Amino acid sequence: MLGRIIRHELRNLSADRTLTLVVMIFALLIGYGLYNGATWVDFQRATLRAAGEEEIARIAGARAVIEEIDSGRSEVPRFADPRSPAFAGGAGGARYAVMPPGPLAALAVGQSDLYPYYFKVTRQSRQTFTGNDEIENPALLSAGRFDPAFVIIYLYPLLILALCYNLLSQEKEQGTLQMIMSQPVALRTFVFGKVLLRATVVLVPAIVLTLIGFLALGGEIFAEGAWWRCLLWVLVVAAYGLFWFGAAILVNSIGGASASNALALAGMWLLLVLVLPSLLGVAASTSYPAPSRVEMIQAVRRASAEASAQGSRLLARYYEDHPELAPAGGAPDMNDFYARSIAVQTETEKMMQPVMEYFDRQVLGQQHLSENFRFLSPAVITQAALNDLSGASAHRYRHFLGLVEQFHHRWLEYFNPRILRQARLTARDYDSFPVFAFKEEPAGAVVARVMKGLLGLLVTTAVVVWLALRRLRRYPLTA
Amino acid sequence: MINRNQISVARKEFTEMMRDGRFRWAAAIVLGLLLAALVMGWKHHREVSRQHEAARRETREQWLHQGAKNPHSAAHYGIYAFKPKMLPALLDRGVEPYTGVAVWLEAHKQNEFKYRPAADAAAVARFGELTASTVMQLLMPLLIILLLFPAFAGEREQGTLRQLLSIGARRTDLAIGKVLGVAGALGVLLLPATMLGTAALALAADDGAVGASAGRLVMMGVGYLLYFGIFVGISLAVSAAAASSRMALVVLLGFWIVNGMIAPRAAADLARQLHPTPSAFEFAQQIDRDMKNGLDGHDPADKRAQDLQRRVLAQYGVSKIEDLPVNFAGISLQEAEEHGNKVYEKHYSALWETFERQEILKRSLGVIAPMLSIRSISAGFAGTDFSHHRDFASSAENYRRVLVKAMNDDMTFNAGRSDYAYQAGPELWSSVDDFSYTAPTARWVLRRQAMSAVLLALWFVAAMGAAMGAAARVRVDV
Repeated sequence: MLGRIIRHELRNLSADRTLTLVVMIFALLIGYGLYNGATWVDFQRATLRAAGEEEIARIAGARAVIEEIDSGRSEVPRFADPRSPAFAGGAGGARYAVMPPGPLAALAVGQSDLYPYYFKVTRQSRQTFTGNDEIENPALLSAGRFDPAFVIIYLYPLLILALCYNLLSQEKEQGTLQMIMSQPVALRTFVFGKVLLRATVVLVPAIVLTLIGFLALGGEIFAEGAWWRCLLWVLVVAAYGLFWFGAAILVNSIGGASASNALALAGMWLLLVLVLPSLLGVAASTSYPAPSRVEMIQAVRRASAEASAQGSRLLARYYEDHPELAPAGGAPDMNDFYARSIAVQTETEKMMQPVMEYFDRQVLGQQHLSENFRFLSPAVITQAALNDLSGASAHRYRHFLGLVEQFHHRWLEYFNPRILRQARLTARDYDSFPVFAFKEEPAGAVVARVMKGLLGLLVTTAVVVWLALRRLRRYPLTA
Repeated sequence: MINRNQISVARKEFTEMMRDGRFRWAAAIVLGLLLAALVMGWKHHREVSRQHEAARRETREQWLHQGAKNPHSAAHYGIYAFKPKMLPALLDRGVEPYTGVAVWLEAHKQNEFKYRPAADAAAVARFGELTASTVMQLLMPLLIILLLFPAFAGEREQGTLRQLLSIGARRTDLAIGKVLGVAGALGVLLLPATMLGTAALALAADDGAVGASAGRLVMMGVGYLLYFGIFVGISLAVSAAAASSRMALVVLLGFWIVNGMIAPRAAADLARQLHPTPSAFEFAQQIDRDMKNGLDGHDPADKRAQDLQRRVLAQYGVSKIEDLPVNFAGISLQEAEEHGNKVYEKHYSALWETFERQEILKRSLGVIAPMLSIRSISAGFAGTDFSHHRDFASSAENYRRVLVKAMNDDMTFNAGRSDYAYQAGPELWSSVDDFSYTAPTARWVLRRQAMSAVLLALWFVAAMGAAMGAAARVRVDV
């Protein structure tokens, strides 16, 4: 019976040409989204490549200058001397800390257009190099990107609703429902058949098109972590779609006319995709108001002015704490610019620590709040899950920042003692500088977060479908 | 002019809408969201203005009380510039969450604005913020569609259209009456919102600020009325032409989605593809290259320094730097600064021209979607679009140049031979005026928004024309 219903529906929909139209529009949208996503990934990769080349050239240049100096062919002032650890630990020998785009990056741009994805780590304080945002027209940033995630979160539900808003109401309005119900078929089976066909024609293209496009644009399915990310992506997209099918059945089961169904579903979409998320944003930012960056800038400035004012006293104290760091042979020079700046910077960071920690706590609080309440809207759950899978989430960025902080520590541990001892670097020392290596977030953490979201989607869908099935029992066959 | 039949139709439509539970609910939700958005906007505006004002004063204090220092160290210390908020910004935050909040003005470098608020917010903020402008641009049109999709198609389905026409009502009178009726219903909704909005503005404003932004607010209001008018016209036209009210609704929702959801993003991506923005890395490298090799690439820094020395020695008729009556370090700092200014000028104007071209492309796509026009107009008059950002950034950059030049000149004429050991004091710091910024006038905005305004007006005329045309041809049965 189910097979007959499906075949009949297929004939109906094909004759209507709705089906072809919907699938074609969908293919077009996904294709355009993939193209945009891939462009952004290429842009990031090209930038990282250019940075890598610059680093290699710069370090080769420094080595060459050292050789020239050693052979007496050239002289350079101290601030540009590649043998000086202050120069090498600063801009001269700086290394890039890089977070490459994730394996599924083209599928969701997410927050990746707001977060820096590489830093030029130097011996200066972290604030000096962590502000290198990508340049972009702010109006384009605020519009957001037309990426596959946008198509999935916003448009895919609309296509589902366009196919399903008159699932039963139309049959009733045409009078065909009564005729069908006079046959030996249960209303539930009939609805199930109709939905099954529609779900197949929407979900299969959504998934297949995305994956084909992803592969066609050079996505590597065998890259580390790619296959399980793809699998979870498919599951999340399917679960989100099922939720909207459930919603359409629920609204149909109430028994209104096609036009009121369309209105109710449009209202639901508006509420879940536009209104609730923006209210959630408001709730997050009022419960955990981020202390303004404006005030933070001023706090940094106050702290560093205070620390610089006591420069030589700080340096004296620093040497008392670290007697082993005094230059070999002779008393330390209390006016040495680089030594003083180390002492000043250490003190500034110490003074700034509580301010920065408070700032981080508030930002994290906002994120936690919006994540805990994401279960209010399937659209927000899906956004969070897709960002996580593509590697465009705040979690991955925070993980990157943590790695950079560790690397910066290692960098300072390498250079500061050498600066204070006034050591001379050789060309060979350039090979022993600390090197940054990006490690992906542990897969377990990502999977756990995504699974939680997926579970949320499935539970919501189950509740909606259960409600719909209960209502269907009392469905009025005539208007 | 308006005749009696039209007024009767309008009265009937108005009463019907007022009694319609659907309208009451939808209107209550829209009004509630609008009020919430106004309150949030007002709170945000007050808080941010307070912070910016405090920071502006503090950065000046820091500058004035930085103690005795070499002028060049002072130039390195610099100041921060914080963009003041304009009053209408509380209605439309425009690009503000996506531009940095402050820029550091220091020697040698034109910096980028740092700290985009959006980067500190949770990802959910990317769904869009709840502001008065979102409600007006997305929800109001939906409410209009809701009210008008059955205007003709519904009357036909109920058989009332046949009755109306049989008693001699003219089709265009029906259309005009329906326009007036829906305008009345929306007025009931918008009037209290406007009053509360004005109250929020007055509460958030310092003395006279409301008066100063009155021109901008009026322009914004006119823009929104045209925008709503477009939706009224299109809804009527579709309702008159569609075979059933269901079809009318589906077509109108489709238009709403293309206009409000798809067009802004698709236009942004198209703009990015046609006029690509360089990466920050590439941008910095080009500036570096020009700094080292000169703007034409054949004027390296050391050659420029030698030329300068020769020129200055010749100017003062001496043969050694020690014999100069002025400090050469100051002169060469300023010379390097001037060269740097030219390099920054070249690259930043190219970058901003790219952004400008992207904006123009987006605005011209207002031909396809009125949303693009109203977004541009709304943010423009709110003082939160890219043009305002650019205006502020240029003004801050000019101030930086004045400040750094004052420091270098002091060094040139007062440092004697002590070079970097020379120290200046508070008199020098206070000789540089505080940075003050005046926002552009409404007329300035109007010039920039002319294209969007014309497109919006054309859409309005076309939509109303379509409504009248379709109404005149409306058929009693399908």
